[in-house]
Amino acid sequence: MKIRVKLRGTLPHKFPEYDHQQGLDIDIADEASVQDLLNHLQLTDSDKCAIAIDGRIAKAEQKLKGLTSVNIFQIAHGG
Amino acid sequence: MKFLKVDMSQKTVTLEDVKSDYAGLGGRGLTSTMINAEVPAECDPLGPDNKLIFAPGILSGTSAVNTSRISIGAKSPLTGGIKESNVGGTVATALGRLGIAAIIVDGQAAANELFLLKIDRSGEASLVPGDEYKGMRTYALVEKLLSTYGEKNGVLCIGPAGEFQLGSASIQASDVDGRPCRAAGRGGMGAVMGAKGLKAIVVELGAKNSEALTDPEAFKTASKAIVKAIKENPFTGQILPSAGTAALLGMVNGLGAFPTRNATAGQFEGADNISGEKLAEVITERGGKTTHVGCTQCIVKCSNEYVDKNGKFVTSSLEYETLWSMGGMLGIDDLDAIATLDFLADDIGLDSINAGVALGVAMDAGHKKFGDSQAAIDMMEEIAKGSEFGKILGNGPEAVGKHFNHHRVPAVKGQSIAAYDPRGMQGNGVTFATSPMGADHTAGNLVGEYLTGALNPLEAEGQIEASRNAQIAMAALDCTGFCLLAEPALAAPGATEAFIELLNAKLGTQMGIEDYTNMGIQTLKAEKEFNRKAGLTTKDDRLPKFFYEEALSPHNKVFSIKDEDLDSIFDF
Ligand code: SF4
Repeated sequence: MKIRVKLRGTLPHKFPEYDHQQGLDIDIADEASVQDLLNHLQLTDSDKCAIAIDGRIAKAEQKLKGLTSVNIFQIAHGG
Repeated sequence: MKFLKVDMSQKTVTLEDVKSDYAGLGGRGLTSTMINAEVPAECDPLGPDNKLIFAPGILSGTSAVNTSRISIGAKSPLTGGIKESNVGGTVATALGRLGIAAIIVDGQAAANELFLLKIDRSGEASLVPGDEYKGMRTYALVEKLLSTYGEKNGVLCIGPAGEFQLGSASIQASDVDGRPCRAAGRGGMGAVMGAKGLKAIVVELGAKNSEALTDPEAFKTASKAIVKAIKENPFTGQILPSAGTAALLGMVNGLGAFPTRNATAGQFEGADNISGEKLAEVITERGGKTTHVGCTQCIVKCSNEYVDKNGKFVTSSLEYETLWSMGGMLGIDDLDAIATLDFLADDIGLDSINAGVALGVAMDAGHKKFGDSQAAIDMMEEIAKGSEFGKILGNGPEAVGKHFNHHRVPAVKGQSIAAYDPRGMQGNGVTFATSPMGADHTAGNLVGEYLTGALNPLEAEGQIEASRNAQIAMAALDCTGFCLLAEPALAAPGATEAFIELLNAKLGTQMGIEDYTNMGIQTLKAEKEFNRKAGLTTKDDRLPKFFYEEALSPHNKVFSIKDEDLDSIFDF
């Protein structure tokens, strides 16, 4: 399936071709999970990523099926 | 260490040794302990009996990084309770180096009298008549002060809002570039300064450190560990330097907790136009600065410089809270307009959070339309003029709610909430409700817990405990002068121990983590005690009714923490 990924924080720096308006268009297996998507993008624990799906922080094993786009954030703290 | 005591009634300035009761205290621990002990709790916050205390943190003035915060405390004219508002810039370090543990401003000048407090690098201090500065906005004021006294001075000052003694009046601090763009915004501390008749404190920078460390070697080792932790932490080492606090906007909006149009929705459709990523893109395109040092000895560099289409400076630093209060809360998704509103808040000397929310309540009441940025700018100018309606706006959201007889006022103890809707982030609602400071995100913000998935923001479970722990941790941190934005780095293995080692090496103490935590608990206890004496009760520890009654989209949740649980939070 095709999914559009918007990257936040410093994550776009990892993808030189990244376009803020468009995001990244990814082709990924229909059964892919959140963790599969992170692996596909080679994002690791040290990138401190969080994915929000339907306004909730998604678990690593959560499936992406049915989604057309996701936002990947970096964990931040308040000031 | 010394106290610099300023009596505005007698126009005297004296230097005294720190009394043993206050030895080892700094920042919020010192302001709150002293206010609780010495300020009559039922006094008029704008009268002569209130004390306005400026206390650098315990570590301010040492060589440790990110230790340039100063706590400003008094009885608040906004909340009617105790207040500590802290700010960076350059003055905390300068005072720490002079061995000044606090400036304590007491008494009151006659109406229409205005003074500056000038402190030179040898520690000599005097009150100087300041009539010529009457009515000045902060940018012009600081420019004039620096041209009179020299560029190498740090300034804490008020603008017209402080002189009008408005509930949203801030005390502005000059940053390392000499711009009055950093704010001790919350609680109306600027109004207290205005009521005292003090327009500015001007402190010469560059005094050599007068306070010997008890253990310089241990201090050096611990300092290095802190630098390493800050640099290696992705938030303090990468995210803040490149996107600043604005990085939070997309995330909080994504989680449906971004209070939009006076908290009538949890997601703003214009969020992408004002997000941290968009902000960085616009600043970069126009040749501004996405990374900028705001405060002395900072290695995080969360600040930015926003410029207009011609590359001309507009404001610094455009931060998450203001992108919300002057943006999403007003339905405005135009960065240029928000930057102008941020500049006006700094220039007039207003808390951009409380002022923005006041404008939001006015819009919600139908006074102007949401999204009308010109109307927002006009309302800010109305405050600066000191017109009847301007004073209502400048006194904050509750005053505006009363004026329009409008009940949707997102404030606790008179102070507006910050950029996290309590229905979408229940634990932040607990902090807003129960903090002795009134609704204040810096008192115990749980957004990091929610983003890591450690806590479900929408369920009641675990919120009281998490807020309690965060409030204690913040109260302790606010004693030290260490910037709360650098604090997440202390989660690295050994970093908290190194941080406590810094305190021990400075003070000659043997504190452990428990003693450090206890510093936070004792501070909160003093604050709660003062508020109780001032007449605040558990009824004041509640969110406004509409948070319990109106469900917030997209999660359709109300605030669901029980009153008895709120009342148990400080059972220690
Ligand atoms: S991180 Fe930001 S607020 Fe903290 S000391 Fe640095 S510039 Fe100041």
